[in-house]
Amino acid sequence: MSAETQQAAGVIHDLGYRSYDGKRLGRKSIIAALTWHSFRSAFGFGRSAKAKIVPVIALVGLCLPAIVSAFAMSRGNPRLVDYDTYVPVLRDLLMTIFVAVQAPELVSRDIRSHVLPLYFSRPIKPVDYPLAKYLGFTAACLVMMEVPLLALYAGSIANVHGGAQVWAQTRALIPGLLVGLMWAVVLAAISLFIASMTGRRAFATGAVAIFFLLTYTLAEILLQVESPPDVSKVVPGGPGAPPGAVHIVQGAPAVIPLAEKVSGLFSPFTLFDGVRMWLGATDTGDNVPKVGGFGAIYAVILLIALGACLAGLAARYRKATLS
Amino acid sequence: MNNTGVTSTIELTSVSRWYGNVVAVNDITMSIGPGVTGLLGPNGAGKSTILHMISGFLEPSKGTVAIDGKPSWRNPDTYRSLGLVPERDSVYAFLTGEQFVRATAKLHKLPDIDQATQRAIEMTEMSDAKHRKISTYSKGMRQRIKVAAALVHDPQVLLLDEPFNGMDPRQRLHMMDLLAKLGAEGRTIVFSSHILEEVERLASTIQVMVAGRLAASGDFRAIRRLMTSRPHVFSVRSSDDRTLAAALVNHPYTNAVELSAKGLQVRTSDFGAFCEQIAPVAAEQGITIRELLPTDETLESVFGYLISS
Amino acid sequence: MDPSSRSQAVIETDALTKVYPGPSGGVTALGGLTVRVAPGVTGLIGANGAGKSTLIKVLLGLVEPTQGTAKVLGHDSVTGGEQIRQVVGYMPEHDCLPPDVSATEFVTHMGRMSGLPATVARERAAEALRHTGLHEERYRQIGTYSTGMKQRVKLAQALAGDPRLLLLDEPTNGLDPAGRNAMLELIARIGEEFGIPIVVASHLLGEIERICDNLVAIEAGRLLRADTIDSFTKASQTLLVEVEEGRDALARELGKRGLTARPYQRALLISIASDGDGDDDRTFDAVRDSVAVLGLPLSRLEQRRHQVEELFRDDDQLEAADVR
Repeated sequence: MSAETQQAAGVIHDLGYRSYDGKRLGRKSIIAALTWHSFRSAFGFGRSAKAKIVPVIALVGLCLPAIVSAFAMSRGNPRLVDYDTYVPVLRDLLMTIFVAVQAPELVSRDIRSHVLPLYFSRPIKPVDYPLAKYLGFTAACLVMMEVPLLALYAGSIANVHGGAQVWAQTRALIPGLLVGLMWAVVLAAISLFIASMTGRRAFATGAVAIFFLLTYTLAEILLQVESPPDVSKVVPGGPGAPPGAVHIVQGAPAVIPLAEKVSGLFSPFTLFDGVRMWLGATDTGDNVPKVGGFGAIYAVILLIALGACLAGLAARYRKATLS
Repeated sequence: MNNTGVTSTIELTSVSRWYGNVVAVNDITMSIGPGVTGLLGPNGAGKSTILHMISGFLEPSKGTVAIDGKPSWRNPDTYRSLGLVPERDSVYAFLTGEQFVRATAKLHKLPDIDQATQRAIEMTEMSDAKHRKISTYSKGMRQRIKVAAALVHDPQVLLLDEPFNGMDPRQRLHMMDLLAKLGAEGRTIVFSSHILEEVERLASTIQVMVAGRLAASGDFRAIRRLMTSRPHVFSVRSSDDRTLAAALVNHPYTNAVELSAKGLQVRTSDFGAFCEQIAPVAAEQGITIRELLPTDETLESVFGYLISS
Repeated sequence: MDPSSRSQAVIETDALTKVYPGPSGGVTALGGLTVRVAPGVTGLIGANGAGKSTLIKVLLGLVEPTQGTAKVLGHDSVTGGEQIRQVVGYMPEHDCLPPDVSATEFVTHMGRMSGLPATVARERAAEALRHTGLHEERYRQIGTYSTGMKQRVKLAQALAGDPRLLLLDEPTNGLDPAGRNAMLELIARIGEEFGIPIVVASHLLGEIERICDNLVAIEAGRLLRADTIDSFTKASQTLLVEVEEGRDALARELGKRGLTARPYQRALLISIASDGDGDDDRTFDAVRDSVAVLGLPLSRLEQRRHQVEELFRDDDQLEAADVR
């Protein structure tokens, strides 16, 4: 059809409001969406570059030992750090910083901007909000814990030869990953619970940091309480011994002081160690309490603390306030 | 209460107030007499600043603010005959309503504290709630108790900054009635608002502020008539709009006519001529006029014109 | 919108009561509220403070009533709370927006929180921002917006989820006259063109008279009156006439024609004499002719209407009620 013979017809499209008749996702999908959103917020995504500084530095810092170990192994050294303890001081410090700075990003910001009514007026139950925040933050902490371990693993396998060696590395990795899971699950709960108390991010960060610092200090102080030293007695020799002979009797082995055994109950980090020991790990550090028979108590206290924080977090958002 | 016939006048002369480079009030000269005056303007126009300068809480950067000839800045005497109801919540939430008003009465060193307190509370209809803590009050009740405290010393001048914020319709009507009554007694009442509906209802004189400057003063309808550069718009409903429109178009004072389902709109550049001619023109055509309204004589239109000019 | 849903009430409450525990019997936020809200734009006035926020919470299924029931779009507020929240768009009164996020991102996120799939949420967010006039600014951070723009974002997030009912709480809060106008026009358009039932909670009677078809007036937790706006603003049988000069002469001339005019502010009030067959023109023509004969400038002729405000006035004040 040529242009001359056909009249061009004009159309005006209706740009008016359109309804949506498509599929609507239920509660689970909404929770999943909020979880993903929270996970991203924990690393500063969706905000300016400044918000990403702390998470990136923390993650890189945590990976440094893995990198150094890989380098050392390539020179013929054995693996520098263990999978389950990694570098305790570094992990304690960087994870404290990470949760202290990022937990407020997830919960305090929303409180400050009063956006909660918009969430609660949506087709979810009030408890879904803290649930999604918790799942998202746990996932983020898990990344922080496991990525360095996986980097360590990768660096190690690259430098060992033979199936048996690889298998040995793998066997060592698994408990390490489980320890990382334990850390993530509990640290996320505690830090979110504390941060949810206030809308001011600076206060929340301070509160979380101070909590971890003080509890750790308390645990360390208790740990230093000395046990009485081993007592060896010098006694005269028994019958049939030549005159003047002496005989050294070993005293009973020192009892682990109660203070040391319970010291670890007061700090999350030492609680982790206690549970680790209970599950059969070997002691690798003088900051780790010898728990003796108290191992089970550590596990119980840890679970109670976790439960309390989660319950507190849920309670904080139970009253769906619209203002 | 004021039977003495004494009235107060507030005079602002070339008043400016700036904060660094920000000019909040720009060279304003105005005179406010007895009755209710509305200070109208968008947010940030400088209304609060003016009220605070009148009450002596803020010093003008330039010019003078005087009440009955005496400057209000650094003049403790001002407070004796002036009451200020600020916008922000400036009450002590842990006190009861009565305690708060009584404390203010004591500050003024009034001769009969009990009587003044009860009177002020009754005037603002807070007698039922006076024994409750202010923290339990709704927003509207807090406003009323603030007004009571400002009235306790029976001031000649009452200044209110956005007094109707947060009030429900009944409370608002009662407060307006109270202010109207006080104004009718000869007091000088000044209130600020950015809600035209309130100002239109209550104020007999308005002062319109735009960006720190005084845009217009007086009766808003008179102000509208002064805006001769803008044609007036009338809306008319009659028994035969079209014929009436045709008849009006024949006259030079008609700029434009517009017909719609709602009726006839006439634009005219000569307010007086149109008013004089509309009845005879309709009568000649045998058309019944059922409604004639100057549509843009509302405070809203006047305000809109002032802002855009 | 299908015709059958037009006649169905969007909100229905039956003796709805909510008492909060506390000293001396507690606080009664709602005391036996029974009301039916029809489709269209409905104004909600008088309910302030505890009453209003409690009512909204109950309607959204977030709070259980002490007694009585509430139904929104057919769903019971206690058993069908989630369904209600799926189909209601809520615009809160107070600030509720994060400052460091763009409007697009925020409304999209909220769309997903309403159960929309990701791509749909993005599309509907963009559309909602266009309909509320924020198309140009949608990528800027909300913290940089003016109050008027922020109110629009609040409205957009309520609209993005494709609501079957909009609940707007003081939508013109904090807006200057121009912004107020724009918002009211937007709401009227949504009600009329988009066909979404709207409930507007406001304390500004003028606004309500302007855009609402129906009105629900609540006081002290109880229904004061619910009716169409027209019934509140019925024409009265009084005519107001204003001339720029010669008012008294006009009064005398009208008297000659058998009409009594009493002075009112700058005008005259005349009772409209009905002819019995409903034709009031006799009075109107008498006024017209009087004015024409005297050559007076006529600036206003108006049949006075009742106002919503009268509902809140005590009887003795009705006489003194001001003219529109």
